[in-house]
Amino acid sequence: MSRILRWGLGLLLIAGLLIGTFLFLPFRSWLPGGTVGDVPTSEVVNGTAFNRLFPKPQQGESIVFTQEKRGFSEARLKNGQETRALLAISDTTTAPEARNKFASTPERLQGWPLVEQGAQASALLVGQRFQVKVIGQGAGLDASQRHELLAAFDLRGLAALNPTAPSPRALPQGQQEPVRVPVPGRRAKETVELSTPVLEPAA
Amino acid sequence: MSTILERLDRLPKRNLTVLALKGISTLVPGGWRNLTSADELIADVMGSTDPELIAQVRARADALSQARHEGYSRAMSLYDAVNRSQKAAGGLRVLANVAGALPLVKQMAKLTPASETLQAADLSLKVGAEMLAFTQVNGLPGDSFGDFAASLGEYAGEASVRMAAMVCFDALLPLGDDALQRLDGLLGRVGKRELRELPAYAGMASLIPGRGDDAHLRFLRQGVDTWLGWAGGFASGLGLSGQKAVRALEGTLGPWQGGFDQLATFLDAFTDTYQHTGVQAIARRLVERAAAEI
Repeated sequence: MSRILRWGLGLLLIAGLLIGTFLFLPFRSWLPGGTVGDVPTSEVVNGTAFNRLFPKPQQGESIVFTQEKRGFSEARLKNGQETRALLAISDTTTAPEARNKFASTPERLQGWPLVEQGAQASALLVGQRFQVKVIGQGAGLDASQRHELLAAFDLRGLAALNPTAPSPRALPQGQQEPVRVPVPGRRAKETVELSTPVLEPAA
Repeated sequence: MSTILERLDRLPKRNLTVLALKGISTLVPGGWRNLTSADELIADVMGSTDPELIAQVRARADALSQARHEGYSRAMSLYDAVNRSQKAAGGLRVLANVAGALPLVKQMAKLTPASETLQAADLSLKVGAEMLAFTQVNGLPGDSFGDFAASLGEYAGEASVRMAAMVCFDALLPLGDDALQRLDGLLGRVGKRELRELPAYAGMASLIPGRGDDAHLRFLRQGVDTWLGWAGGFASGLGLSGQKAVRALEGTLGPWQGGFDQLATFLDAFTDTYQHTGVQAIARRLVERAAAEI
């Protein structure tokens, strides 16, 4: 047997063993990669896309971004040194069970379903996909203050990130409101405002 | 592997580490509370004590801390690596001190607290670990460098006690009051050999950006440069000094007779301040995210 053939066979054997090890032994769980719900990263909107949709700070306030991951972005609303609230946008693709709580709520904010979670948290589901949340911190915020903050997010821009989402007025069958006649010219203007959906490649 | 919230629940409520942190926290405005209960932390973030909500947040936080790419557990392993290395190095130095006190072996075991260069390398590794852990836990928040700097400042402010502990235990006590000014010069003397002598480096090397020891050394030096700007302002703003740190520690640990560098060695060998505050900091960020996602 020639020398090259021997080397080739040896290497082939080693490669086969290595591949076999990775396929059959439970190494998979150690290796990095994947998302929380094992959703492909390309299907989850990157947190960078959410940043510009946060409310603009008012006089004396500031917004400090604290976390940004795939499908998630969070900021703190600060008044001087004091943290007033946590503001967050998340893509529920990685946590579909979070959508369940919106199914039965009668409350609406700008047409999107609204849910209260405990005394300090309000959540809004935009485009049946993105959850916007305001959690009062420290001295706390009352419900109307939280709703004001939720409304200050760029909700229309957020809905536009999900290309397949229905318009905010499209309620489930049986709960739909009468169709409103669109004002000519207005629709076109709106579509100009909306930016293209941002689905970024995997990080 | 236990999740981050489980580790938070297991943190000690009262031991040497907690006492040292309590002592150092008297130097920092706002103080420090030893929060060791996950449920309490969740209730604090959510502003609600509803057990069902707390259970939901907890389940989500556990799922997040087990997801490898989310970085929370990776940040934890960084803190663990640094802590192990600190304890090992501190233990060796204590041993050298004890051996030095025995007349027979006195000549052989020269009483050697770690050389200043090694101490500087150790500090740079801690600063590097801190920055890597920040990006693992928080990603790169915001759209501009200004946003990122604000975010980093916010995180450091939240962790002001751990920063004070780092400045005091790893810079001022072992290197003297002019440590922060001298650090740059000291780091200039750190070579590959010193870096390799640090046990934590082996555990961290794969997470530090760049390939090879030289690239890592450059990253660490840049990290320390950035940190020094912030730490200098922090230390002078609070008026931190070795003397002050010792007095603050004596308030909780009891009187100390030895030298400053011996106290630093003692703290290195017998406390886990870095890991303890690390678990608490990561747990808070993790819960903030879980609360927003449920």
